[in-house]
Amino acid sequence: MTRSRLLVALVLSLCCAAGATQSGDIEPKIPPGYTPQRGEDEQGLWLEVDDYEKRVRASALVIREPELNEYVRNAACRVAGDYCEDLRIYVIRNPGFNASMTPNGMMQVWTGLLLRVTSEDELAAVLGHELAHYTQLHTLDRLRRMRAVYTAGSLVDLGLLVLAGVTIPAGQMAATLDAMSFSREQEEEADLLGAQFMASSGYDPRAAAQVWEQIIDEEKKASAKRREPDIFSKTHPNPSDRVRALKQHVDSRYGDTSPSDAGRARHVAILNRYYMMLMEDQIDTNRFGRTAAMLERHKRIGVEPGLVAFFHGEMYLQRDQAGDIDRARKAFQQAIEHGAPPAQAYRNLAYLQFKRGETEEAMKNFGEYLRRAPEASDREMIEFYLEDNR
Amino acid sequence: MSIVRHLLALASLMLVSACASYSAVDPGVVRVGALQLDPTITWNAVPISNSGFTNRQTQVWTQDGLLLNRIIIIPGVDDGESIFFRRYDTSQAVPVFEADMLAHEIEELVESSIVKAFGEGQASVQTEGLRPNRFGANKGFMFDMLVAVSDGPNYRGLVGAFVDAERLYLLMYFGAEPYYFEKRREEAESLIKSARL
Repeated sequence: MTRSRLLVALVLSLCCAAGATQSGDIEPKIPPGYTPQRGEDEQGLWLEVDDYEKRVRASALVIREPELNEYVRNAACRVAGDYCEDLRIYVIRNPGFNASMTPNGMMQVWTGLLLRVTSEDELAAVLGHELAHYTQLHTLDRLRRMRAVYTAGSLVDLGLLVLAGVTIPAGQMAATLDAMSFSREQEEEADLLGAQFMASSGYDPRAAAQVWEQIIDEEKKASAKRREPDIFSKTHPNPSDRVRALKQHVDSRYGDTSPSDAGRARHVAILNRYYMMLMEDQIDTNRFGRTAAMLERHKRIGVEPGLVAFFHGEMYLQRDQAGDIDRARKAFQQAIEHGAPPAQAYRNLAYLQFKRGETEEAMKNFGEYLRRAPEASDREMIEFYLEDNR
Repeated sequence: MSIVRHLLALASLMLVSACASYSAVDPGVVRVGALQLDPTITWNAVPISNSGFTNRQTQVWTQDGLLLNRIIIIPGVDDGESIFFRRYDTSQAVPVFEADMLAHEIEELVESSIVKAFGEGQASVQTEGLRPNRFGANKGFMFDMLVAVSDGPNYRGLVGAFVDAERLYLLMYFGAEPYYFEKRREEAESLIKSARL
């Protein structure tokens, strides 16, 4: 081989090792419609994941609402392009921040992700990142490493236990987390390919960095830090480094970009439509620091002010620091003044007034609650208060 | 059995101590802590290792096995305490009872506590039907509950509670849907309603 041919071969091999094309794009490792080769270990792993997917499909926590599913599917399909047909998406009722994919094309999106992103672009950024792990076979690599750690039992179950934060013996935890980790290189590749998917599908590639900035903000405001195994903190690059790297990459490669107003509007419309369900699950976590951070974001992006004020009231009641009862009362009043409040705003304000001995005002608001929610399931309790204080 | 289900079962079985066996609770007047109850059928009292319970006098009774139906009787939660388990780990953000809570606040406290008991993200809990109920000389309330679990049967629940001398008394019946909740609902409701000091 001549010296010049050797040089060309070397350049080509470096290019292929990085998985990048001449244009600098990262080349997905599997084509759309990919299925594993017969006889490979991959086929066995797919079968195992298929078995797990049957259980996910049957779970009572899978959201069935067509409008919500359509919204998530449209975003996933737009960012996935030709891979759309390979995806099976399950929106899971879980207030945590997560989305994940398995090597067979199953994508899980937790409702907590919907509460934390502020636009369709940001949702697509997270889904595009997970899609990149799928197309680069990182998810398969992860399952293989888990199999190496666990020779018996269902690998997927173990992985899920970690993701779900279920306690497993400490000795196994480190090994499990290690096996479940995407490497730093894989995370960085998924970030870059995710941005590429975003740009080629018309989404704003800056949105990924925005998601991470919001997560950093929420972490700062969290009152009780979770000590359950957190897959993101353990395995992903430091969020601040990640934001910096993503911004630099997007600046140099894609120039000035901005999210579409329509994407923000679609996301806010979905939040408004399902806000009571989504936020009630968040309130049940009793993590009021995180709740407060979310509510500030929702207020900023234009979620129905009456709904945001109502949950501010709920959050203050839960936090119960000095002055919080007054803040809660004010929040419920604001919810009412904003118009279109949930009927529960009248009821919760009435309870606070009742506690303070403002019986006449309380009974008036209890009455208004029942007038607005005649089928309320706690009608008997409210009528008891009304009767008792007549 | 999947590992998830296996662990959930284990979590339930953690309530059972290694050396003791179930004991029968026959119809008649029964005392649990400061509470008096009138079971109308024979229940099986589960030998619980109750060192982890906030109130060590807590009792758990079942008809068909813990995973199918159970009644949890908590004879008193003091101001500032969590209702099920002691808060060894603040990262869990377990909510606590406050003596000035009204009925709807206790309903929300129970809802959030059940979420924590199943594991955050592992269950979605909805309560409804808050209604007044008298427990002996005390004014109290009852409500219904629906627990959707990530990997297992859904549960229905029936809860009765009252506050006396800044202490919360709580009785909860849970049964797997669709069969085991209804199977003993009548007897469980009767038992809960019979509670008094």
